[in-house]
Amino acid sequence: MSPLAERLAADLRACPRHFAELVEAHSAVGWRDFLRAWGEVRGLAALGRDEQGRYVVAAPEG
Amino acid sequence: MKAGFRDALRVLEDAGELRRVKKAVDPRHLSALAAQAREATFFEAIGGYPGWRVAGALVSTRKRLAHAMGCAEADIARRFEEGIRRPVDPTLVSDGPCQEVVWQGDDVDLTSIPIPLMHVKDGGPYVSATMVVSKDPEYGRNVGSYRLMYRTPRETGIDLVSSSDMRRYYQRALDAGRPLEIAVAVGVHPYEMLAASYKAPIDVDEYAVAGGLHGAPVELVRCKTVDLEVPADAELVLEGELLPIGWTADEGPFGEFSHITGDVKWNPIFRVRCITHRRDPIFYMLQMPWENDWLAAPVIEAAGLQALRIASVEPVAIRAPVGGCCYWTLVASIKKRPGEGKNALLALLSVAEVKLAIVTDDDIDIYDPDDLDWAMTFRVQADHDVLIVPGARGKHIDPSVRAWALGKGGLPTTAKLGIDATIPEGVPREQYERLRYFARDLVRLEDYL
Repeated sequence: MSPLAERLAADLRACPRHFAELVEAHSAVGWRDFLRAWGEVRGLAALGRDEQGRYVVAAPEG
Repeated sequence: MKAGFRDALRVLEDAGELRRVKKAVDPRHLSALAAQAREATFFEAIGGYPGWRVAGALVSTRKRLAHAMGCAEADIARRFEEGIRRPVDPTLVSDGPCQEVVWQGDDVDLTSIPIPLMHVKDGGPYVSATMVVSKDPEYGRNVGSYRLMYRTPRETGIDLVSSSDMRRYYQRALDAGRPLEIAVAVGVHPYEMLAASYKAPIDVDEYAVAGGLHGAPVELVRCKTVDLEVPADAELVLEGELLPIGWTADEGPFGEFSHITGDVKWNPIFRVRCITHRRDPIFYMLQMPWENDWLAAPVIEAAGLQALRIASVEPVAIRAPVGGCCYWTLVASIKKRPGEGKNALLALLSVAEVKLAIVTDDDIDIYDPDDLDWAMTFRVQADHDVLIVPGARGKHIDPSVRAWALGKGGLPTTAKLGIDATIPEGVPREQYERLRYFARDLVRLEDYL
């Protein structure tokens, strides 16, 4: 994963976020770079949604 | 030759209804800026996307929709009816500007398109102005409009939850264990968008409907990688397939046409295998919710007119107000004979989507909210003139139907409300004689200024 994708995944591991909250937290990143990194995050099996529609990455078990 | 997307922009600009934005704009800010403009917006430079421009909010008001349809604001339903009555078959041409640039294989990259982030709770950036083409071996070609949520450089989500012909095509492909090829045209004339939004019978070609609206055939080109045809003058085309995974991938939330954020839905995935576009492409950002609402208005109003005629009621004017998202509410004025106020209500409420119907006499200007209020105040007795139909079909996105309590797959019902604001039977019309000013025809204020 790219460093930006790692950071996005870490953000979602820390707490659930709406997509726009992630965008806001990384607003200095160019849109195209952000979307490429998001594409990597989408590939994570641990990526899910909470009941409010926010994205979340489940912490590894154990 | 029929008008295209760029012709629609020119018509709006000539009418003073298009605002050009010259400074470079980040795709994350496009929708918020378009929402602040009184006109349609044309962004001439997009930060990080050299060569691309973005247009949005083309038909966000009744006035702009009427400009695009080349008719008076009161006539959008009749103009739409004329078009669907006289379909014009599309023609196939060998090439078109939508394929001036072709990206295939490893070059396919959705991040090369300035897909905007629109609302604070959206599940991702959305391609909102789509004309999606699919084909079924038995039923033939279908064209509809379905939102696409960016997932990865080669994949989007697609909202295929609601009942539609393409949903049926996808289900049939899924049952056969194969993907469904689709092509998505973005940046087409509002007539094509109206045709795509119209729930035509399954044997009706929406391209012919668009041709009927134009009064000229829609020119189509064959796609590069799928057995489908798209409008040759489109700005952008995405070709690919809906993966045979069923309704299993998260999609949404999205700022819906109901002006409310929807829920996360479970939907198929669209895998893009080819992107084609013009050399100088304009991305069409359909600005939610208004633009989506107004594209529904002619269709719902035309359905209301048809229902009134079937009920042998003579309509004078009809309006799907934007407060009802041009979808849930119909207001009509009629030339009334005894009993027809109620007949008209029953007819309007028979339109599946309509939840609130109001009927007036033909002396009421239904486009004037004060005149409408006046009719509802003085021509309505609630115990005689209000009709409630409980238990009719509802829509999930209407919070008042409490769809969340139904469980997965539950279908909501709704009560429908009709208000007969015509002059009650037995009340002489003279009782409603409006005030007239003495000497109104003799004196003019400007002569005294």
